[in-house]
Amino acid sequence: MAAVYKSLSKKDSKKSATTDDNGIKKNKQRVLVLSSRGVTFRHRHLLNDLASMLPHGRKDAKFDSKSKLYELNSLCELFNCNNCLFFEARKGQDLYLHCSSVPNGPTIKFHVQNLHTMEELHFTGNCLKGSRPILSFDAAFDKQPHLQVIRAQFQRIFGVPQGARKSKPFIDHVMSFSVVDGKIWVRNYQINEEEASKLKPAEADADADADATKDTDLSLIEIGPRFVLTPIYISEGSFGGPLIFSNKSFVTPNQVRSDMRRLKATKHNGRSEQTRERLSKKGDLGLRSNIGHERQPDEADTKMLFA
Amino acid sequence: MVTKGRLKMALAAEKGTDFKKLNQKKKAKEAAKKKAAKEVVEEKPTESDEEEEVEEEVEDVEDEEDEEMGNGVNLDAIDDSDTSESSIEMEKRLPRKPKKDQKTQAVEAKPNADDDEDDEEEEDEEEDDIPMSDLEDLSDAEKEDLIPHTRLTINNTSALLTSLKRIAIPSDNSVPFATHQTITSTTLASEAIPDVSDDLQRELGFYTQSLEAVRQARTKLRAEKVPFSRPKDYFAEMLKEDAHMEKIKAKLVEEASNKKAAAEARKQRDLKKFGKQVQVAKLQERQKAKRETLEKIKTLKRKRQETGGAGLGTNEADLFDVGIDNELAKYDSRSGSGRGNMGGRNGGGNQKRQKKDEKYGFGGKKRHAKSGDAVSSSDLSGFNPKAMKAKGKVGKSRPGKGRRKAMSSR
Repeated sequence: MAAVYKSLSKKDSKKSATTDDNGIKKNKQRVLVLSSRGVTFRHRHLLNDLASMLPHGRKDAKFDSKSKLYELNSLCELFNCNNCLFFEARKGQDLYLHCSSVPNGPTIKFHVQNLHTMEELHFTGNCLKGSRPILSFDAAFDKQPHLQVIRAQFQRIFGVPQGARKSKPFIDHVMSFSVVDGKIWVRNYQINEEEASKLKPAEADADADADATKDTDLSLIEIGPRFVLTPIYISEGSFGGPLIFSNKSFVTPNQVRSDMRRLKATKHNGRSEQTRERLSKKGDLGLRSNIGHERQPDEADTKMLFA
Repeated sequence: MVTKGRLKMALAAEKGTDFKKLNQKKKAKEAAKKKAAKEVVEEKPTESDEEEEVEEEVEDVEDEEDEEMGNGVNLDAIDDSDTSESSIEMEKRLPRKPKKDQKTQAVEAKPNADDDEDDEEEEDEEEDDIPMSDLEDLSDAEKEDLIPHTRLTINNTSALLTSLKRIAIPSDNSVPFATHQTITSTTLASEAIPDVSDDLQRELGFYTQSLEAVRQARTKLRAEKVPFSRPKDYFAEMLKEDAHMEKIKAKLVEEASNKKAAAEARKQRDLKKFGKQVQVAKLQERQKAKRETLEKIKTLKRKRQETGGAGLGTNEADLFDVGIDNELAKYDSRSGSGRGNMGGRNGGGNQKRQKKDEKYGFGGKKRHAKSGDAVSSSDLSGFNPKAMKAKGKVGKSRPGKGRRKAMSSR
């Protein structure tokens, strides 16, 4: 009850806290990161990697249900999160990612492919835990409305808000999202600054700023993890609601697998058909001893005539 | 607790609309299905018919919307009394938010009746497409005329834009860059990467995109006086902990050493191959040299036999009085006196026979070949009295007795 009283008394002051001096609304985000049951260790490691990059994230235990995803909304509310990153594993092999803004949506569902966790990649890059990343988006994110929505969602989820509780004051990594081949490729790089070589004084002169004197060479070192996201659909609500976008070119992994199996089956079918044909042809030519089928006794047969 | 009360109230408020809405929805669904079936059977329904039906439905929707709005106001009132302590400003639930029961159904991409105006578009779109599951009871002949769509095409731009507006974090020039730190590049990654399966090119494309972003971000952040680079003496928890980095280091070292070892091994292998070649060459050379010398000796021998058989050979025979022996043997009466030169036969022209006879013997008694007889004892050819005498006297004779006496007395 004390908490309730406190919040009641603080109600007025809180309103002003959310806005900056300039009247800009402060960006406050919290992300609930969790997975469904049945994830493999790689899926779990990817989740851990992402969660460790999000100081404004909250990791929760595996979510039990796959059908009642709307329950996640109340879970988010319980944890005071307004974004949700939900990893759904199916058949112990396919991973889907739901990115949702909680009370009102939208929800974006991705299929996660080509995932490589930090641990298995052995990249030498490293960065401060909880430093705010620079989010680098491909130009394609400006072009189509569904990609714009995806970008906005990624900004909320992967962009660490300014002044987040466990965030560090320096900027030393960049997260890049690129659209290639209809998929979103995600990479994470460390920003490596080295003393500028003395061969380029002209460049330093060009920038008259005092900062320019201590300008450094920039290079990037990959940190990991790597993964590729294929958008499947965007629904208007959070974990529900009507679809407002669905990717027509998305082929479900089940379909892919069954096609592959069918392809194999057709090969075998063709071959068995051929053998059958060959055998019947041989039979017609009288080249086979009648193993398979008994000859019909007909009236002109010697056995019938002289019985 | 306050929240519990709120929840109950909200539930009660929601339940009222729920049933109505469910009914509505069912009806709408049935109508849609009927229509779909009709469409297929008739194959090409008149345009006006369809439009009428759509309009009817829209009216239904709007009616229902009004009811909902009424309830929505109620909900808002409840929300205002919310007293949960939160650092995050949760958005207010929008009144037209779909209810729990519908949520699951909505995912199935069925035409929904509970949407605003901007969903009319979507509905129209969906009118064109009919799910395959609805067509299963059609005859094959009818199915042939259909153009199958594998997937319903949904791209509701206006709805996307509204939801974008709802969630967008302002990232234009009006707000400081440090609040969002987002950079959208000017170049398309798909253009920079013509072939996705080319790993190197693809990664390079991503790298250049992010490097460009970092350059821009740094200038912007410096302009805003936001600390960018980490000072050397700032230590904090890292994303990859030390154990992990240690592992990576070990891996790198191992890789390097493996590479080195492989290079060494290859070098050794090459050397070995080369060394073997050298050895073989040397052996061959040695053998060649040997063969050559042997050849030389042979030719020399042959030459000697051919040329010296007449010239040198006779000289030697002269030197050692072989000719005399031969003469003597010729006149030897005894046939078996010497193996090799059998009496009467050795004059033959067959040299080979002669050689063989010489080697193995031919005819005659083999016993007592070396024992002496009358002829051999009378043969004094080997006796030289001069040689017997000459050996002892070497000119210095012994003086006489008187002289010797005289010498000794001196």
